[in-house]
Amino acid sequence: MEKILLKNIDKPGSHKLDNYVRNGGYKAFAEALKLKPDNIIQMVKDSGLRGRGGAGFSTGLKWSFIPKDPTIPKYLCCNADEGEPGTYKDRAIIDNDPHLLLEGMMLTCYAIGAANAYIYIRGEFVFGANRLDEAIKEAYAKGYLGKNILGSGFNLDMHIHRGFGAYICGEETALLESIEGYRAQPRKKPPFPALAGLYGKPTVINNVETLACIPAIIEKGPKWFSSIGPEKSPGPKIYGVSGHVKKPGLYELPMGTTLRDLIFNHCGGMLREDRALKAVIPGGVSAPLLTPKDLDTPLDFDSLAAKGSMLGSGAVIVMDESTCMVKAAFITNRFFSHESCGKCTPCRDGTPWLTKVLKRLEHGEGRPGDIDLIESLCGNIFGRTFCPLGDGAVMALRGALKNFREEFQYHIDHKKCMAS
Amino acid sequence: MATIKINGKEITVEDNTLILDAARKAGYEIPTFCYQADLMGIGSCRMCLVEIEGQRKLQPSCITPVLHGMSINTDSSTVASARAGVLEFLLANHALDCPVCDKGGECELQDMVHKYGPRTGRHAEPKFKFHEKDYVLSQVIIKNSNRCVQCMKCVRVCREVVGRNVLGALGRGDHQEPTSFNRTFLDCDMDGNCIEVCPVGCFMRLPYRYKSRPWDLKGADTICPYCATGCRMVIEERDGQLLRARAQLGVGLNSETLCARGRFGCDFVNSAERITKPLIRHQAATWAEALASVKDGFSGKEGKHIGGVAAATLTNEELYLFQKLMRTVFGSPNIDSSSRWNSDAASAFIHAASMNEGGVSIFDCMEADTVLIIGSHISDENPVSEYIVRRISSNRRMNLIIASPRAMKLDSSANVKLRHLPAAEKAVLDAITLVINAGKLSEAEKLKAIKDSKMVDLLTAAGVGVDEITDIAKRLSASQSVAIVAGTEFLRFPDGTSGLALLKDVLKNLGKKVTVMPTLDRCNQRGAWEMGVHPSFGPGYATAEKGMDTEALLEAAMRGEIDALYVVGEDIISDYPDREFARTALSKVRFLVVQDIFMSETAKLAHVILPGASFSEKEGMFTNQEGRAQSIRKLLALPGKAKRDLDIIRAVGELFDGSFGPKNAVLVLDEIRQVNPMYSDVSLLFNNKKNSDNRLDNRAALVKCAAGVLPAAGEFASKAVSSRMEEHSFALVTGSHLFHLGRFSRKSETLLGLIKGATVEICEDDAARLGFVSGEKVKVKGKNHEVLATLKTSTGSKSRVAFIPESFEDAEVNRFFRRGEGVPRVSITRANQ
Repeated sequence: MEKILLKNIDKPGSHKLDNYVRNGGYKAFAEALKLKPDNIIQMVKDSGLRGRGGAGFSTGLKWSFIPKDPTIPKYLCCNADEGEPGTYKDRAIIDNDPHLLLEGMMLTCYAIGAANAYIYIRGEFVFGANRLDEAIKEAYAKGYLGKNILGSGFNLDMHIHRGFGAYICGEETALLESIEGYRAQPRKKPPFPALAGLYGKPTVINNVETLACIPAIIEKGPKWFSSIGPEKSPGPKIYGVSGHVKKPGLYELPMGTTLRDLIFNHCGGMLREDRALKAVIPGGVSAPLLTPKDLDTPLDFDSLAAKGSMLGSGAVIVMDESTCMVKAAFITNRFFSHESCGKCTPCRDGTPWLTKVLKRLEHGEGRPGDIDLIESLCGNIFGRTFCPLGDGAVMALRGALKNFREEFQYHIDHKKCMAS
Repeated sequence: MATIKINGKEITVEDNTLILDAARKAGYEIPTFCYQADLMGIGSCRMCLVEIEGQRKLQPSCITPVLHGMSINTDSSTVASARAGVLEFLLANHALDCPVCDKGGECELQDMVHKYGPRTGRHAEPKFKFHEKDYVLSQVIIKNSNRCVQCMKCVRVCREVVGRNVLGALGRGDHQEPTSFNRTFLDCDMDGNCIEVCPVGCFMRLPYRYKSRPWDLKGADTICPYCATGCRMVIEERDGQLLRARAQLGVGLNSETLCARGRFGCDFVNSAERITKPLIRHQAATWAEALASVKDGFSGKEGKHIGGVAAATLTNEELYLFQKLMRTVFGSPNIDSSSRWNSDAASAFIHAASMNEGGVSIFDCMEADTVLIIGSHISDENPVSEYIVRRISSNRRMNLIIASPRAMKLDSSANVKLRHLPAAEKAVLDAITLVINAGKLSEAEKLKAIKDSKMVDLLTAAGVGVDEITDIAKRLSASQSVAIVAGTEFLRFPDGTSGLALLKDVLKNLGKKVTVMPTLDRCNQRGAWEMGVHPSFGPGYATAEKGMDTEALLEAAMRGEIDALYVVGEDIISDYPDREFARTALSKVRFLVVQDIFMSETAKLAHVILPGASFSEKEGMFTNQEGRAQSIRKLLALPGKAKRDLDIIRAVGELFDGSFGPKNAVLVLDEIRQVNPMYSDVSLLFNNKKNSDNRLDNRAALVKCAAGVLPAAGEFASKAVSSRMEEHSFALVTGSHLFHLGRFSRKSETLLGLIKGATVEICEDDAARLGFVSGEKVKVKGKNHEVLATLKTSTGSKSRVAFIPESFEDAEVNRFFRRGEGVPRVSITRANQ
């Protein structure tokens, strides 16, 4: 497939505005400024683009919820708080093709009528934040940002807001709280950000990869875009593969590529031929894992949901048979309890409890009845938390428990690992 | 309206009602930790989860509004298991040290676990501990974070209601700890509202620590004895000692909030300094001897040579009987309820604030498009009124305008804050009126009117800019309804009352709904006036033979014309704005009777001292600033031989007229109802009425319109100050301190622990200009008096204004004043210079 999102990242000087323009950049934006904003929203709707941050909500539909009243200030927030373990797709775009993101944001702002856009970038991405800062300065210098952009009368300012190392800031309303200077904890919904978001004003929050898709949609048309991949979730997708494969890395492929194709074709197969595939996490650690019997599942929103997992951020973590699932579950869970923001009771007090039990199991201190306890605690957390963080923790753990229950039991009975 | 089904029961509620409120209305209790009416909903504790038909997940009922046709289940097995699950999680790291926890017995977590919780614990892991020992967060707060349930009510009440923002959360996840910045000592209002809202024993009262168990306490539902906001609270005692005062959720206009004075200042009733027996010439005496002495002192004296001053901290019944005693038994019209301002000022204020037209609810005021607060340092003087203003103004679109010389905490909620010179309320109001009137003119005429010399004079007198005044005028003109909150500065500088009356009329003539709400600084000041403790009107503002007020009484005493003076609860020497004059005058009174609970400066001069009762030892009624009649309840036994003030006043009356009465408080109230049409419907039961919805407003308790019409007020000479001053020179103003008001607070151990010595507050810029830093000792020198005080700086106050609170004995602030001289000038220098 022709690369769309990662087409520039390997070129030398790809982060420079001049090079970006030379490769056809900002053409879509210049064209779009001649269109009506509503046309752009319609094009994105027609393209069938679904949010790449994890939830897979229709991007065009999200934009269309923004009130049209020109007297109300509106905002775009780019969610660049890429923190899901295993995920590193947005960083590639931010570091090496920042103008692609900026152009996508400009188009979005024009479509929804926003005069201010924020990029909420993960605190650890110092390099990326500097790159974006340079890129924004270049864009101002060349008149792509600021007042009366390209003589169209459209004004747009962009701001970078660096996070401070909290996973919860990737949750869109916690992200808004953080930009406003409050403690990053999710807000109640409704009202949804489309009506009352940043500073109480209509706000669109989109993932980096989602925004990077926009220029191509405007340039080549929604029909072209929707012809890529499956009908219900079309477009290109960056899969970030890590774990026990020969060639881990980012792969831009049509949505709906199967796991088998991805692992054994694109990634060159398992890292060690003598070790068989044991489990795959298809979309960041919140996504329940899949087993070799699911290898022919297409990696798209609906197919994975049908398998009881999710596409999430498209971070594929491959584990071979040497992996201890109890340890994997413990490490994953420890991440979630460490990152729990503390707002709601089930997640705040439930996930650390799970971690304590899993830690005991992992260290050979399991007690009979621990598996039942874990299942019961999972039941008390799932669906009762304020935001999806707690649900994610439970889904991951339940996935491991469902497929590898005997390993957990083995840990309790034999005080050691089944895998090693 | 939305019709919904709750547990199969159909109920119709207003749109956007929360499921929780709808369920409570339908009679189903839903447990909560983090929910609190009046605080922003956060939906975090997950105790209130309910099942909604057609929705996959349980929903938090405290932040989910109803939708027409919803079917909700609040007690299904799923809901029950969710509640038990949440409680199990809360207990996982909870300290479970109930036997040594002050909250044990009234802990919401205990109650909930008992009612909904799991019967056995499964958490067999090491518990996370924030700290080993409880730590002190302020002079009144001690904290144990290991018991916290993370409901964040403390943080929210601090930010949203009190407006202090000194609490926040440290850490994340199960390490999240609501506390002060880095757990350092709080620089806060010490109101303890965080303690009150805390459902568990996390925030605790330091003065009450390990003193009692809730079930050992006996309580009485009463009214706070400090300012005139009229907060309702429960005072509780054990073994005859008042141990704590607490507010109740959803009861009274204050709901769960109180200020530092109310919550921690009621321990003055326990003071060892209480007068416990009658004294004749400072020698202990029996009641019979004391009363005989009073009889001697008053016998054969003419009414015009007798006077009476009763404090505005007494109950309506006592005040009514007092004026009846003075008027009918002694034949004296010389009655007053304050020594700080004269009675003409009071009449003019009552007139300008339309107090004779009946009570005005603060909640109604806050429904206005524009609220103008002038002449009141509401943040320090009436803190809980301020909480109400802050809370409501942040939740609706309205203008809040604050005009005051001194900066205040409420400024942060204001749309416009105007800093004018002290005593310039009239100039400010007249200038606003002038601009509003000019609004009818054409643009050119308007400019001319604004530029005319009168306007310039007014602006100079007020020390404000024309833009600020026109901005305020514009906002007032654009409003359909206006509420003016007018405070005690109008009593200190009564010329402002005519400006207030004029603005009120001008706005009314423009067809606007105008309400004026007075804010007062004594718990029953309004009651005192309405009971007729005033030299020119009787109960219900009825016209009465004109007599002398405190000031005129002192002048007469100076001339040797006062034979007998009966002072109840008032300390004239400490309060009258010219201390030396008051002392000299009182020493010339031939027979001085003082009835009080403490040995005041005035009492030291008395021939006979009668020991009275504090608010906690008697029954009766207070009328708050809004005109809300609320009853106080007896909790404690009288100390020593002290008697209730009503009984003493009656006993004094009976010395001269055996039939003097009525004989008890209930009968006195009956008589008040008959005599005073404003009080014809009041009832002692108002106090105990609980509001079913969250409006916290009990309109039935508001007094009615008076029968008579008050005569128009006279003109007063302006006491305005000019803005030109020498380098170290300041205009001195006084008023209430956040922790100290009147004399009672100075006998409260807890409040004295917060601040003991006098402070002088000036604005930050002046301090910087003079090279002073906050906290250093400075010398404040006036023409007649000088004191050493601790300097306090405030951000955003008018330059060249110094403020010394009136309660501090060591400052004797009224010695700076001289009769007829207006606002005194003082110089402030380093203490060691």
